[in-house]
Amino acid sequence: MSGMLSFEFLDDVRRMNKRQLYYQVLNFGMIVSSALMIWKGLMVMTGSESPIVVVLSGSMEPAFHRGDLLFLTNYRQEPIRVGEIVVFKVEGRDIPIVHRVLKVHEKDDGSVKFLTKGDNNSVDDRGLYAPGQLWLDKKDVVGRARGFVPYVGIVTILMNDYPKFKYAILVCLGIFVLVHRE
Amino acid sequence: MASEKSKNQLAGDDKPIKINKWDNAALKNGLDDAAKNVLTKNYGFVENHSLMDGRLVICTIAVAFAMFALVLDFFRPFPESRPVLIVCVTAYFVLMGVLTFYTTYKERGIFLVALEKDRAGMDPDNTWTLSSSLRKYDDMYELCMTYSDGKTGETRKAELCKSVANFFDENGVLCADLFNPEIEKMKESLTSEKKLN
Repeated sequence: MSGMLSFEFLDDVRRMNKRQLYYQVLNFGMIVSSALMIWKGLMVMTGSESPIVVVLSGSMEPAFHRGDLLFLTNYRQEPIRVGEIVVFKVEGRDIPIVHRVLKVHEKDDGSVKFLTKGDNNSVDDRGLYAPGQLWLDKKDVVGRARGFVPYVGIVTILMNDYPKFKYAILVCLGIFVLVHRE
Repeated sequence: MASEKSKNQLAGDDKPIKINKWDNAALKNGLDDAAKNVLTKNYGFVENHSLMDGRLVICTIAVAFAMFALVLDFFRPFPESRPVLIVCVTAYFVLMGVLTFYTTYKERGIFLVALEKDRAGMDPDNTWTLSSSLRKYDDMYELCMTYSDGKTGETRKAELCKSVANFFDENGVLCADLFNPEIEKMKESLTSEKKLN
């Protein structure tokens, strides 16, 4: 009895012909592609390689808390100014950092050097930069914070803390989409 | 062709269709499949797949654009890949729009286009199409059968609008002995009209 029950949900799939089966796979592909294309579209529009990030630490409290969702832009023509909140990458670190700009040096040829610090940290970020690095460059910038949604990103943090949970959800959703005929 | 037929028989088509009766999509698919079987198996009409193929082609191209963008972005990271990304993203969303138009204006719920081959092989084939709709939270299954004469080009329609409860038993098994005669009746009504003319 239990054996019968567990495979009854496949009856719909069993009745399909080759075209319908291929369409099920395409349907799955289109869900993934839509998410991907929305993300890439945002990248193109904002000019940032990662237009939405989640704050992972409390170093910017009370401005941002762990789990806040940030929306970034990275337009070339907009200069970086003191007081702005930038997201930057440091060589040798996988995760980008969200901190405030403390000092800026600009040259006539357009090159910029700047120093950052977390609002909640007592010292500036030179200790976080790559060894020997004293200033950040324009190429290190991922984007500048333009808007935020509080605490929504906590889901992402939980997912990353419990990878098995994340994969279980993804696999369940994937199977549901593949097996369920619209 | 012959191998496809025997394969279908191997898949156990004589086994009654059993579905989850609370799932509207499953109800509709079950009835659609049964109606399709009546025309293709009992009457031996040949299914024409071009309508479905059109949708498959649109979807395949769209997914190919997305996959290309993904691969390119992996090998040439963002600022460099920007122009190609713009093309891919625009193409993808345009294709999604095309797909919506295709399903709402061209397919219009048609799930079978079948050709009735002329016995002598001289005249053009007659075309039979089946389209159906079953609204969410509604039990009325609407089936529309269209016949278009290959020779004269005239088209005739027969419609069926009945509650799905008429065709399924309590366990969600499709009662072919109740449903198939309805389809045969529709088919005969369209054929006999032809003879009257």
